Amino acid sequence: MPELRRDPVVGYWTIISTERSQRPVAPRQRAVSDERECPFCEGHESRTTSEVYAARREGTKPNGPGWDVRTIASKTPILSSDAALDRYGEGLYDLMEGAGHHEIIVESPKHKHDLDELAPAEIEKVVGVWARRILDLAKDPRFKFALLFKNHGVISGQGQDIVRHSRSQLIALPIIPKRVKEELLAAKAHYDRRERCVFCDVLRQETSDRSRIVAENDSFLAFCPFASRAPFEIWILPKRHSPDFGQIASTETPAFASILKDTLSRLRNLLDDPPYNTILHTAPYRHGKKEYWKTLDEDYHWYYQISPRLTRAAGFEWGTGIHINPTPPEEAARLMRETAPEVR
Amino acid sequence: MPQLRKDPVTNRWIIVNVENPKGAAELRVPPMERSSKVCPFCPGNESMTPPEIAAYGRRGNRPGPDWLVRVIPNKFPALRIEETPDKTAIGIYDKMGGFGAHEVIIETPAHDHDLSELPVEHVELVLRAYRDRCIDLKKDPRFKYVLIFKNYGASAGASLEHPHSQLIALPIVPSRVTGEVKGAARHSEYSDRCVYCDVLDQDAKPRKFTVEERGGFVSFAPFASRFPFETWIFPRAHRSSFDAIPDESLRPLAEILKSTLQRLRGALGEAPYNFMIHTLPPQGRDDGTYHWHIEIIPQLTQVAGFELGTGFYVNPTPPELAAKLLRDQEPKG
Repeated sequence: MPELRRDPVVGYWTIISTERSQRPVAPRQRAVSDERECPFCEGHESRTTSEVYAARREGTKPNGPGWDVRTIASKTPILSSDAALDRYGEGLYDLMEGAGHHEIIVESPKHKHDLDELAPAEIEKVVGVWARRILDLAKDPRFKFALLFKNHGVISGQGQDIVRHSRSQLIALPIIPKRVKEELLAAKAHYDRRERCVFCDVLRQETSDRSRIVAENDSFLAFCPFASRAPFEIWILPKRHSPDFGQIASTETPAFASILKDTLSRLRNLLDDPPYNTILHTAPYRHGKKEYWKTLDEDYHWYYQISPRLTRAAGFEWGTGIHINPTPPEEAARLMRETAPEVR
Repeated sequence: MPQLRKDPVTNRWIIVNVENPKGAAELRVPPMERSSKVCPFCPGNESMTPPEIAAYGRRGNRPGPDWLVRVIPNKFPALRIEETPDKTAIGIYDKMGGFGAHEVIIETPAHDHDLSELPVEHVELVLRAYRDRCIDLKKDPRFKYVLIFKNYGASAGASLEHPHSQLIALPIVPSRVTGEVKGAARHSEYSDRCVYCDVLDQDAKPRKFTVEERGGFVSFAPFASRFPFETWIFPRAHRSSFDAIPDESLRPLAEILKSTLQRLRGALGEAPYNFMIHTLPPQGRDDGTYHWHIEIIPQLTQVAGFELGTGFYVNPTPPELAAKLLRDQEPKG
């Protein structure tokens, strides 16, 4: 029986409709890439744009081998670092120069396709670089928000990730994007009403209900959210209330690396290396504007979202913003729990 | 330098590549491959679909394969009419029964004729079916919104290639629709005018974003287009609801829809696309600030992590360039 579910944070509705899963689906395309051609592999540093930052072994030089995680400027930036922040109008319309920063975080010197193929200690380093780069960009007063995300695999019909080398992207923006603002405002509204963080409420309910849990450790909970928009959507939430991923404690980093590896490897084993996107939801840069989000430290909670791309947004989703999800999150979580994570 | 543009209604920002824009040639799509499977939407296979809701163009009243447009329930419905829209809470979560209607409008008996290739009077029949179904479903006050949409091509989400559109009637007003209706009302609060009328007026001279104006309708590339070659069709006069369209306006709407789809096809080949009719929620009060329109979005780029995380779209083709390239297309009859 189909069911409509409301997301407790932002309030969007999702249709959970198992009948739709019987619809014919197109076969998935696979990307194959050759290590020798890969610009992101160690030893091929000259094929990329120049290095922004790298976690390097002692005695090695920038733009050469000897790194564990390497950050480079995007070859095709969607925003430009040189632009001045210039806002203007044209009649009814508002415009802004595209000031921003776009970099690629190469997550391994080896030709590994997915983050979970790395050793836990290696993933820890990656998580450390994510946090460090987000904090570094906070120093630029032009930026209000940085989005860390991943486009993994090829979505059928469209080339996306053609090179099979694990990496994330980081984009710093001169505005707080609408979707981020909606989430911040919704979390604030919940806090204003109940004086509690909505994400902490979700954590409590998921921990006692247990039907949507994928994996858990001392510091993190991975679960399929109640109103999952995508089949097998997963959120990883820190158990300690914290608005800002950049403030992740050094004691939490190993636990985060371990739950990421666990979750991503279950996903790969269960769904045969599905394409997915990840999004890090974290607090905006505040630059001392305390009055803007007065209660943000109390009302917002960072989390890491993994959204497999197994269905396709079409006219209905575009027209309404409502997603149709053929896999109930309880079912997705059960299948994920029953799948063995890779032990490497 | 990329440019950021804000949509005047929804306040959604987009990033547009004005520096080295992608034209039609870079985005053109090769012809689709046809499958040879038995098609449940073809005439003669009526028994393969759930029982018909309405049909247009039959000579007699007898059911048979001589229809031109046929409306049927979706065999794999996202929502069901037998459900009840009961609302329940599970702790902090809210849920509702999956009540709704999900119908398919089979646009033509001809398996490989796209909407843009049908004669104008046939397109008119399709639009009439849309309107009639909206009017019929509106009678049930439990439906808070009716969305008409079309997915053309596999990567736009179509699972069957026979030309069809769909309709979903919902027990809630979707937040995206509320956002748009509120955005239009906000503009009107301080200007006392309709924002969409203002947008059309601002482009009257010189025409930068307008693709075509004919028979009381305008096709238009919106200033903050999310997708390359995104094109909207508006009634030029202020009208809030699609289902109030009079009979005599269906023909000119069919003409501009056909012409716009042909221009897109001329520029982009058999590009997959979606279109959606945006209209005022049927049970809402009409304060005269909303203006119905059709949004056509070619699916030439892939929405990925950045768009999902921010709601911020990156568009490689400035809409003024798309409008010019579409104006330059010669539509056939």
